[in-house]
Amino acid sequence: MAENSGTDPAVETNTEENAAASATIIKVTVKTPKDKEEIAIAEDSSVAQFKEEISKRFKANQDQLVLIFAGKILKDGDTLGQHGIKDGLTVHLVIKTAQKTSGGGSSQTSASSGPGPSQGNTDGSANSSPAGNLGTPQGSGPSPTPTQPPNMLAGFGDLSGLANLGMGSANFMELQQQMQRQLMSNPEMLSQIMENPLVQSMMSNPDLMRQMIVANPQMQQLMERNPEISHMLNNPELMRQTMELARNPAMMQEMMRNQDRALSNLESIPGGYNALRRMYTDIQEPMFSAAREQFGNNPFSPSRTENREPLPNPWGPPDTAATTTSGTATTTSSTTSSTTPSVSNPLGISSSSLGNGMFNSPGMQSLMQQISENPQLMQNMLSAPYMRTMMQSLAQNPDIASQVARPSFPKMLQMFAGGNASTPTPEVRFQQQLEQLSAMGFINREANLQALIATGGDINAAIERLLGSQPS
Amino acid sequence: MHRLLTCFWILAGVKVPRNFRLLEELEEGQKGVGDGTVSWGLEDDEDMTLTRWTGMIIGPARTNYENRIYSLKVECGPKYPEVPPTVRFVTKISMNGINNSNGMVDARSIPILAKWQNSYSIKVVLQELRRLLMSKENMKLPQPPEGQTYSN
Repeated sequence: MAENSGTDPAVETNTEENAAASATIIKVTVKTPKDKEEIAIAEDSSVAQFKEEISKRFKANQDQLVLIFAGKILKDGDTLGQHGIKDGLTVHLVIKTAQKTSGGGSSQTSASSGPGPSQGNTDGSANSSPAGNLGTPQGSGPSPTPTQPPNMLAGFGDLSGLANLGMGSANFMELQQQMQRQLMSNPEMLSQIMENPLVQSMMSNPDLMRQMIVANPQMQQLMERNPEISHMLNNPELMRQTMELARNPAMMQEMMRNQDRALSNLESIPGGYNALRRMYTDIQEPMFSAAREQFGNNPFSPSRTENREPLPNPWGPPDTAATTTSGTATTTSSTTSSTTPSVSNPLGISSSSLGNGMFNSPGMQSLMQQISENPQLMQNMLSAPYMRTMMQSLAQNPDIASQVARPSFPKMLQMFAGGNASTPTPEVRFQQQLEQLSAMGFINREANLQALIATGGDINAAIERLLGSQPS
Repeated sequence: MHRLLTCFWILAGVKVPRNFRLLEELEEGQKGVGDGTVSWGLEDDEDMTLTRWTGMIIGPARTNYENRIYSLKVECGPKYPEVPPTVRFVTKISMNGINNSNGMVDARSIPILAKWQNSYSIKVVLQELRRLLMSKENMKLPQPPEGQTYSN
């Protein structure tokens, strides 16, 4: 059959093509059931221009070409960009032939995998009233042409992370099921999730996370009843910190255990216990049951085997601890939790205080104690990204830092410094003091450093130490 | 407190697997895995819930569907992939299991929807529907003129 059934080969849009030549060229794979070609085209081309290239490559009339991308038919007037067609992606091609003629072409769709009609003709036998059913999709308007490629697609750069996970759909589903069943009974699962680059990229966007959480109907109920929760969710800083925390399950467990331990202290406080219990019933229960519904498991079973008591309230720790906290009133980067729990505000939150509020919880303090006793634990803690955040805020707020662990502060600092390369080493920090000491005649730098570390940079004390230990 | 927040993450975690899955499917749709006879993608690229998808099936040769391109709407609800998506033809089609007046796919008549497994995906649904087009009971059904859509 004639190659062009009466319609001029599409040379019409030729001129436009040159105009677009200055844009970036992308390589798009054009795929038919039988064939696949890679076509280089300017990124901002129109679909019509693209088709022109395709018609040359596939030796078919431009009017016979129907392009499909991600479930939508591409109209001539659209641009590639409109549909989000980028370098490396695949567009499907259908070459329309006359009704029912053995479709042709280097690619008539016909053959799915089964009957592969090896149609011969490379030129679609055109005749099929071109303008009629081609190009403009059978009216089946798949949704109106979408808008510009959005932020979301940009985030898909991270999808390659998914591929790296090696999860084919089948495997993935297994993993997912596993996750759902064991997630909370095995906190490491949580950490695995957290390590997923896709998750991380999603989580690095607190808005997205918040949306996801909020979209859960149980959460919505919970949020209605307890506005504090939505406050918390709305605080991106808070979310981020929690994300970090969640990444390190060992740390989490540790903290939880300490909370349990600290809880016994709280029992003796008049009123405090009730407040805690209230908080528990108001908030924790529904959350747990919501979570339990999803996972059929008490998420925290491993670390609270027999603990059925309400959990401590770290934000507004009751009286005893409260005195220490309200004393601080450091409102530098985040306010400390000076709000004590009350009926209407059972969590006693000033939500932004969460990060630093944690330091003030009795649990945290006993944790600190433990840590100073066990340097190994310290190392573990320090490896969590969470710790870095904490330490940064520590560094910025020396008040809080002293608040955190007054008794063991110097020791802690030493360990912090020793264990984490990202904070200045003692040498750097004590640079000045070291110089002073050596100027005074203490030439043993090593010993000087030790002394400075031990005394937390206090030169006089360090000198005494040095004098005391040096055989003179 | 930590538990509380971890609860948040648990709840978020439910979202995460669903979204993983859908993002994976989105990527596949853009990369064109498969033989090119079906295509799928988000209906609206800004849809952060990844719920509404469009799909396309190319009518198999040697059937009355040959040469036609069928457009569908697929909706993946919050429980997907634990529950199957709802599927609806936009392009008019005459096929068993498809409601004649609105194009809804009857989940009970389509085997993979009726016996859904969470390892199935949008791609699988589209491919299966296409396979059914080639079945004896469907392939010879007289079809409405090309280019018509269901109005709804």
